[in-house]
Amino acid sequence: MTDYIKIELLRMLRNKRYVIFVVAFPVAFYLVFSGIYGGEVAAGGLSGKAYFMVSMSAYGALAASLMSTAVPWAQERGSGWLRQLQITPLAGWKIITTKLVASMLLVLPAVLLVCAAAVLVQGVSLPPGRWLGLLAAMWLGVAPFAALGLTIGSLLPPDTAQPVSMIGMFGLALLGGLWIPLEVMPEGLRSVARVLPSADYAGMGRGIVAGDGLPAGDALAVVVWAAVLGVIAVLAYRRATARA
Amino acid sequence: MNAIAFADVSRRYGDVLAVDGLDLTVEAGRTVALLGPNGAGKSTSINMLLGLLRPTRGRIEVFGHSPDEAVARGEVGAMLQSGELIPELTVRELVAFVRRLYPSPLGLDEVLEMADLTALAGRRAVKLSGGQAQRVRFALAVVGAPRLLVLDEPTAAMDVESRLRFWEAMRSYAEGGRTVLFATHYLQEADENSDRVIVVAGGRVVADGTAAEIKAGAGGHTVRFTLGGQAAAGLEALPGVSAVEISAGTATLRTADPDATVAALYRGTTLEIRDLRIDGADLEDAFLSLVQESR
Repeated sequence: MTDYIKIELLRMLRNKRYVIFVVAFPVAFYLVFSGIYGGEVAAGGLSGKAYFMVSMSAYGALAASLMSTAVPWAQERGSGWLRQLQITPLAGWKIITTKLVASMLLVLPAVLLVCAAAVLVQGVSLPPGRWLGLLAAMWLGVAPFAALGLTIGSLLPPDTAQPVSMIGMFGLALLGGLWIPLEVMPEGLRSVARVLPSADYAGMGRGIVAGDGLPAGDALAVVVWAAVLGVIAVLAYRRATARA
Repeated sequence: MNAIAFADVSRRYGDVLAVDGLDLTVEAGRTVALLGPNGAGKSTSINMLLGLLRPTRGRIEVFGHSPDEAVARGEVGAMLQSGELIPELTVRELVAFVRRLYPSPLGLDEVLEMADLTALAGRRAVKLSGGQAQRVRFALAVVGAPRLLVLDEPTAAMDVESRLRFWEAMRSYAEGGRTVLFATHYLQEADENSDRVIVVAGGRVVADGTAAEIKAGAGGHTVRFTLGGQAAAGLEALPGVSAVEISAGTATLRTADPDATVAALYRGTTLEIRDLRIDGADLEDAFLSLVQESR
């Protein structure tokens, strides 16, 4: 299975769309936002440059997990690659497990690059424990989005999976407060943000960066979302790969 | 030991019976062609053989196991009718990946050589032509050294020269006791590359034997002549005749005994016979007559 994970990583790193959306965009946006708002102090006492570091890491991770799952998986189902794998000794459960693991590994470049830009360009500095905590939270906390992407890829054909995953990505990013801080959103939108996993996901990162530790409410919400979407993803995967 | 055994296998899609009580066995070590027109049930049968589809009724065994078990044990390799590759990966990466999924595969370089891919090994799949991609799919099918190789219309995207090379590669793989089952609607391919031809039509086996046996069994010869406006009644009762076709004023009689048929045509009828021609049937005639009979 490590071979399989390896080729999944390799193919995405060679995919231009992945590299642009997932690796280049978050870093570029971070530099723009932190350049404008970097000196301000955001809610919770975080500096603007640290606040947007978490936001753009979260956005990059969200984009990476959806982009590396939904459309590639929908394409593989439609194009016959899945069938090619199904007639080899590779067990079915390994396919979805590999997709999940690979997708979670593929969020790391975005998170690491945004953090690197924050350190190198904006001079953000944190105690080592907080860096590790942030990376761990950003990495593991992406599970609900990877599950969502796999669900989309299992249920929809590629040409529908494409717009749906895009809408999902921008919707979760925008309404979850990754682009516009929750604090400046109108009340109506803020109540939407409260139920979205992306708001909790970024909330975990902000809590850690601010030195408040892992916010229990946000973490619990992400775990519940991961469990619910994970079950849905497995059911959708079974449906998609059932041998009729 | 049988490599493949279908026992009374049927597959229904809604109201359509794609495979209708198929019974067949293939001994290990044979190269068998599954020959039939489009819609005969070839692909459905192959997908059931590979465990990708479940039979509505009946039982399939591959080397004495269920298709799923045989696939899990790495005993089966297949080239399906359609199947894209992962565009961002190179030929070598794809073949090496699939190779490692099997317990005792062939050597990577050996397979690339066999499939004529050595020069393309570093090329990404997105840049391959249709015929080149087809060769990669052949390499993916054989790289695990499966005892049973299944090919569903493998030469569909190939030009004439690629076809010749493809069948050469297939034959070299089959040497050494491996079993090959391939589906085709090209009669010539079945004739030239198999030692047994199973003709299917309407989801059933309509003939089974060597290409030579099938030619003989389906009325080995044709007798043709210009009938013009004369009545055709009684032609099917002539000795040796198995089928009569009349089209555009020409009568075509399929016969196992052309001498007797022609003698009776002159002596036993009052027809005016012009432009008489006798031909040995080729596999195509045999095939068409079998498929027509089954309708």
